[in-house]
Amino acid sequence: MGLLDVLPWRREKKVASAKDDDLFDDEFQRKLEYLALVSRRVFSGRLRAERRTKKSGSGVEFADHRDYQPGDDFRYLDWNVYQRFEKLLVRLYEEEEDLAIYFILDTSASMAFGGGQKLRYAKKVVAALAYVGLANLDRVSIVTTSDRVMERLPETRGKARIFKAFRFLREVQAEGTTDLGDAMKTFVAQNKRRGLAVLVSDLYDPRGFEKGINILRYNKFDPFVVHVVDRAEGKPKLNGDVLVYDCETGDEREVTVTAKVLQRFGEAYAAYLADVDRFCATHQVPYVTASVDVAFDELILRVFRRGGFLR
Amino acid sequence: MIFAGLPLAQLLAVFGAVGFGVLVLYILKLRRRVVAVPFSPLWERILRDKEATSLFSKLKRLLSLLLQLALLALLVLALGDPRAAESLLKGRTIVVLVDASASMQSTDVAGTRLGAAKDEIKRMVRGLGGADRMLVAQMDAMVTPLGPMTGDTSALERELDGVHATDARADFPRALRFASDVLRGVDGGEIVVVSDGALGEASDTSGPVHLGTSKLSFVKVGTSDRNVGITQFSVRRYPLDKSRYEVMLELTNAAAVAEDVELQLLGDGALVDLTKLRLQPGQSLARFYPQLSGASRTLEAKIALVDGTHDDLPADDHAYALLPERRRAKVLVVTEGNTYLEAALLLDEYLDVTDVAPVGYAAALGKGTWDAVIFDRVTPAEMPKAAALYLDPRGPGAPVKVTDELKQPGFDKIDRKHPAVRFLALDDVNVAVGHKLVPETGDKVLGASDGGASPLLVAGTRAGYRFIALGFDVRDSDLPLRTAWPLFVINCINWFTDEDAQYLSSFRTGEVWRIPVAGGVAQASVKMPDGSTQSVPVHEGRAVMLGQLAGFYELTAGDQHTTFAANLLDASETAIAPRDAPVVDGKAAGTLAGFHVGVRREIWIYLLLVAALLTALEWATYHRRLTV
Repeated sequence: MGLLDVLPWRREKKVASAKDDDLFDDEFQRKLEYLALVSRRVFSGRLRAERRTKKSGSGVEFADHRDYQPGDDFRYLDWNVYQRFEKLLVRLYEEEEDLAIYFILDTSASMAFGGGQKLRYAKKVVAALAYVGLANLDRVSIVTTSDRVMERLPETRGKARIFKAFRFLREVQAEGTTDLGDAMKTFVAQNKRRGLAVLVSDLYDPRGFEKGINILRYNKFDPFVVHVVDRAEGKPKLNGDVLVYDCETGDEREVTVTAKVLQRFGEAYAAYLADVDRFCATHQVPYVTASVDVAFDELILRVFRRGGFLR
Repeated sequence: MIFAGLPLAQLLAVFGAVGFGVLVLYILKLRRRVVAVPFSPLWERILRDKEATSLFSKLKRLLSLLLQLALLALLVLALGDPRAAESLLKGRTIVVLVDASASMQSTDVAGTRLGAAKDEIKRMVRGLGGADRMLVAQMDAMVTPLGPMTGDTSALERELDGVHATDARADFPRALRFASDVLRGVDGGEIVVVSDGALGEASDTSGPVHLGTSKLSFVKVGTSDRNVGITQFSVRRYPLDKSRYEVMLELTNAAAVAEDVELQLLGDGALVDLTKLRLQPGQSLARFYPQLSGASRTLEAKIALVDGTHDDLPADDHAYALLPERRRAKVLVVTEGNTYLEAALLLDEYLDVTDVAPVGYAAALGKGTWDAVIFDRVTPAEMPKAAALYLDPRGPGAPVKVTDELKQPGFDKIDRKHPAVRFLALDDVNVAVGHKLVPETGDKVLGASDGGASPLLVAGTRAGYRFIALGFDVRDSDLPLRTAWPLFVINCINWFTDEDAQYLSSFRTGEVWRIPVAGGVAQASVKMPDGSTQSVPVHEGRAVMLGQLAGFYELTAGDQHTTFAANLLDASETAIAPRDAPVVDGKAAGTLAGFHVGVRREIWIYLLLVAALLTALEWATYHRRLTV
């Protein structure tokens, strides 16, 4: 143990790493199996619909309906249903071509803030979605980023490869600053096969979270944003005269924290979340807020039911 | 403006030194707690808004420093005790006379009247100006200043705690003379009397009191007049039957309504008599109880209202008296035989008489201690060490010089105040022959012939023992045939043994008491009714003290123990209705003015108050993060 290891945040990191060993235990795997079963029943989501839009008319086997959303191709509207129920539904078809799914996991230092809760949660979400993808014979790849692409799990297929993904995710550590723009530039250069790019991040990018997402969009990837949020960060337990420093950049600011300041910070935090939501909605980027205080399987199921993620 | 505390130069030095310290501490930067955050740009969003007010923040910091320096300046100024120059010159000099007489024990106000008076004075003390000085004196049978003339309010308030009501009346003229003497030479002095007004006239044997230029103010306390009290109480044994006694007492109803009272007489603590009486408004009712028996020493009278309530003054509801001690006096009679004398001595059953012939005198004298020795036509060479009655003394052994023979002398002049001859009819006693007695200095002539030129009856003291000398043989007169004869003999013995027929069953509080004690001691100790002990001087065989508490006293002088009683018995104190302002020197006392509680003239108090206020303000704004 080094001298710096006595520092609290260092100790927290060690604790987080130690906990990661049992991150994907039997209980977790049972939940994954259950999620895969559920997804099979409803897996016809927007991911495929997006892809199918690009390859219009190639689908042949009807799978399911979903609600019409602005931007959908009118040709896929089920007019019979509209005539009977006066509801606009879009017909979905089974995709026969395998899908490339890229999980881009933000591993900057801010993901380890607060005991590494956000990182662990993000790993579980990535593992669950990867399992669902693998179970449906899609090509799944996982990359970790901070201000660049850090680690990479090459494209793989088949449910049995999930353990490789587990091992990969276990080894992931949070460090470095966030620069989604640079990282995504590298990502698109390294991955010529276009597909679904699931960005799992807290989006704490001092240069702006929009840049990274836009690079994915501009390069024909289908970005899907899973915004990992720890609500406690919006209500920091601070009081009095403090010197705050950024855990990634080390930038310092002197602040006198009062109830009024805390209130304003809470408002700024909420505004930041609202900015992300607004940006994604404006640019038709699927967006899900993954709050760490919601059980991950509940989050996935809720998303299934709501149809926002896998629909 | 002048500084009564530290001088200006020292104040400036203190301000400079401490102010420099404050500045140094202010320049030192506050060490902040270091806290990590996940995304500092969120904080910057807030701080950008705050930077718009950074100028105001700097001003607030400067304001905070100025506030600290202002606080320091206020404290340093307070150290200097600044005062307006004119306030020092125009301070008032006040003498407060607080009435501690018996009527001030009345409970018609919350607590007692004395408590209310103390509260009034405390309010005055708190309203004293910075340059004012006050002296508080307790006014009862005496005048007792409670401390020096001072402007120290806390000392004055402490002094007031030592004021206790007495069972005596207030000596108002004496108190006024005291206050006037204190204020003599003081321009614009003030006398404040705090009382219920039962003070009597402002004049005494020296004449009316003059206050000069001093202003007199009066603060009245008390509201009610409901009181029934014992205003007279006396008891005495019958001279010839000392087992019986008679009691005289008087009750007074000072209230404006009729009251039914229950009167108890207690002898040696046991109930002797119980009477229910109705007293009309203002009525004084005298009661006489003759031929009482059953008490040997103490007698008490108590009154209570029949309806179970209490009147407002309990001090006069209880009176005490002590019966004269029934001591058997030992009398040695040296005579060849005197039937008249023997008959007279037989009348008092409490006399233990021993007759002896002149030849056996010396032997008899040495056999015991005698309270009195009667020499009948016998005069020993030396006076005995006992009180002695000489009937027709002769020779050099006589206590007074016996000179010219007087033919048919008479009592032309009689000292009727002397206990030996008081109330005796001696004017027309016929005497065949007698001798002129020549008294020495200090002796008293009780009776004299020839228009007072020839003393026949002389009393005095030799070597500490009393004597009475009668300048004729009673057998040469018709005195033994008169009622006066046995009374004279018994009076003489009573005077020798201090069993005065005018024995005081109780003393009156507020007067100087002279209690007989055995010769040879200069100091006596008195145990007071409240249990405390007081040392009193003995002057001319009597312990002298001024008593102000009612009840039983125990006096110890050497190995002699004496008990005596004292009572209030004062109708003017029983009448507790508050009176109007007293009239002194032709002018009625004015009302109190110029004391404003809470408005003090010391500036330093206000400086400290402002400093405390600023500190509270700073504390509040700091904790609400308004000034940081």
